[in-house]
Amino acid sequence: MDANPEGHVPPELSAHLTSPTTRAALRVQQQVLIAARAFLGGEGFIELLPPVIGPVTDPGVRGSKQLDVDYYGHRYKLMTSGILYKQASLLAFDRIFYIAPNVRAEPPETCSTQRHLAEFHQIDVEIAGADSGSAQDIAQRLLQHVVRHVLDTVPDELHGLGRDFATFTDLLAGPFIHITHREAVTALHDIAHPQNPDAEIDWAGEELLSQKATAPFFVSDYPKGSRGFYDRESTTEPGVLRNFDLIAHGGFGELVSGSERENDYARIVTRMRETGENPTKYRWYLDMVRAGVPASAGFGMGLERLTRFLTGLDSVWQVNAYPKVPGLVAP
Amino acid sequence: MTGLRAGGFPEAAIRARAVHGEAAVFPPVDDYGRRVFGADPAARPADAVDRARLVPPVFVPMRLEKLIDLGREPLFADVDLTTEIGGFTAPLPAFLSAFGSTRLGSTTHAVAASRQAGRLGIPMVVGENVVPVNGYDRGADAADNVLLTRVRAYSADLPDGLGGVVVQQSTEDADAEVWNLVYSDPSVEPLLATGRLGFELKVGQGAKPGLGGMTVVDAAAADRLSDRYAVHDVFGGGRVLRSATPGTFTDEILRQQIRLMRNNFPRARVWVKLPPGRDVADAARVAWAAGADAVTVDGAEGGSGWAPTAFLDQVGLPLGECLRRIGTPDGCLLAGGRMWEGGRLVRTLALGARAVAVGRAALIAVDEDPEQGLCRLVSALALETAMLISALGKYTPAAVDRADLWAPELDPSPSAALPCPPTGSNEAVER
Repeated sequence: MDANPEGHVPPELSAHLTSPTTRAALRVQQQVLIAARAFLGGEGFIELLPPVIGPVTDPGVRGSKQLDVDYYGHRYKLMTSGILYKQASLLAFDRIFYIAPNVRAEPPETCSTQRHLAEFHQIDVEIAGADSGSAQDIAQRLLQHVVRHVLDTVPDELHGLGRDFATFTDLLAGPFIHITHREAVTALHDIAHPQNPDAEIDWAGEELLSQKATAPFFVSDYPKGSRGFYDRESTTEPGVLRNFDLIAHGGFGELVSGSERENDYARIVTRMRETGENPTKYRWYLDMVRAGVPASAGFGMGLERLTRFLTGLDSVWQVNAYPKVPGLVAP
Repeated sequence: MTGLRAGGFPEAAIRARAVHGEAAVFPPVDDYGRRVFGADPAARPADAVDRARLVPPVFVPMRLEKLIDLGREPLFADVDLTTEIGGFTAPLPAFLSAFGSTRLGSTTHAVAASRQAGRLGIPMVVGENVVPVNGYDRGADAADNVLLTRVRAYSADLPDGLGGVVVQQSTEDADAEVWNLVYSDPSVEPLLATGRLGFELKVGQGAKPGLGGMTVVDAAAADRLSDRYAVHDVFGGGRVLRSATPGTFTDEILRQQIRLMRNNFPRARVWVKLPPGRDVADAARVAWAAGADAVTVDGAEGGSGWAPTAFLDQVGLPLGECLRRIGTPDGCLLAGGRMWEGGRLVRTLALGARAVAVGRAALIAVDEDPEQGLCRLVSALALETAMLISALGKYTPAAVDRADLWAPELDPSPSAALPCPPTGSNEAVER
């Protein structure tokens, strides 16, 4: 299969690991992790270690496939995201985060986006009692803190990779611009991009918007039908979700996806049906929600995407030590 | 022949077409010049669609258009049956419908029908429950993967630019993530790359509206499936009833499921299959408005599956009434139920459908001849359809409309008194 028509294919693992580019990217990533942990710790977040398998996981969207594990005769899933456990964790602490590994067998069409890996990591944040706005505030300040820290600590790595620091001027100045999904659709239609108004911003559309910007920006209020059942639907605008993405400028695209969460049992069951899910398989989660979980908001920031954005590298696989590009078989 | 039986269905006529093809569209040719023919007043059609009559006009302005176009008098061979069906191109307004998870639909008959449907270039729907029941193993047991086996058989001789495969998913299939499995399967990529893959959301079916899929399985299979399906020991003797859920739908659930399909699988066509419910018109409108490429309505006469006798005989709207309630469709409307010959096909087009689903007839045809049965049945269907459409003074299926039909029972006016005739007796396929 010609899985990567633009030629952005990882080399053999040994060549990849000994490449100066890989080493530089991984040194940058180490500083990203140090900075993220410092920032979130300073904001009162507790770091938990995420689960790897469970009877059910984030159903996901955009056609990514879950991978099964035979767990004592039961079909378990590798985590596509920790969302269900993030909500559960708020029973222990009001503010939590993971550095979470996730596995999604993305459809082969994502192999040429330069932004997808089948195995990747998220800085996964959940905040009890928060709304979409306060989650966006944390995401913005987290990103600014990480960028500042990386520029301060490993400037030579970035210079060596050819990254122009002026790229980050508007980001560090903040605040980020906020547009709604509807405004994003209109902007794309204005430049003759055929964006479906009821769906996620497609990869090409997201890149067009990203190319035009000079700093990261939030896109909020996605339509129901574009996201999972756990993104809360607006009570004042039915059909609109209280969620957001943070899109990096310069063509790097989505860094963060987040939302207020549904935490009402009946609404979650209904939303499960609206997203084609069978509530039966979410029994532990629904039992927990029925007993009560805190209202919350949170987000996941893609670690490899953030590192790619910082380093300015062409493809996200270049910042992962053991890259698995969708559709390509790799160690 | 394996002894497949289809009680209440014109099985002998279908088998004759599976053997003789186009010749079977006419009375026996040996009788030509020896007998006179006419309508049989004793024959009582089973439902309102069959009781309706196609009524060719005297004045035929579209034939004049065709005459001008051709520079000669048009004939039935000048009808272009090519039809756009839910995003796919078909050589005639018909497609192979899902067979469900009954033993017949899952095995050799289904593969034979798939191969011939591919050769013909007609779209094919692969039924629900095939994956959760039969699995989706791509490894050493890949031959047991019924879905992929059918897709491969279909693709083997598929002509360029024609046909497409539509994979159904119901509530239990969602657990098995059928669409995700298919969408990222390398062997399906050629269909996806040529715009010939679709997904069908199964909201319900004709044979047992309001119930989920049902099959009879042995005790070992019941044990294996019991974590995903309800199993009831109603028969004894080691045979167990396995029931799927019907799924819960509201207008908002349907709307959002369709939108999510479009969001998640932008390269696939989106089809929706509706049961013959009393609100079928509302459901169809919701589906089209949410972006469905096709809505299939299965009349209560339909279904190759196995169902309780009360459902076969007493539950659900007949196809004609479904189509009457939908009226002029807002999108591509497909219809199923007792489809095998051109008259019912063209009457169904006149009632608003774009194309018809052939299900049980295809199983009977491949049972008669696994190599050519369906091809012959479809060539007979195409010839008959072309003759009927040309008789109406028209030369494309899309030109057929309500004016071509005399059907007092199916008066489009909502105030019309509607008799409620029986839809036919127990018609489940048995073996």
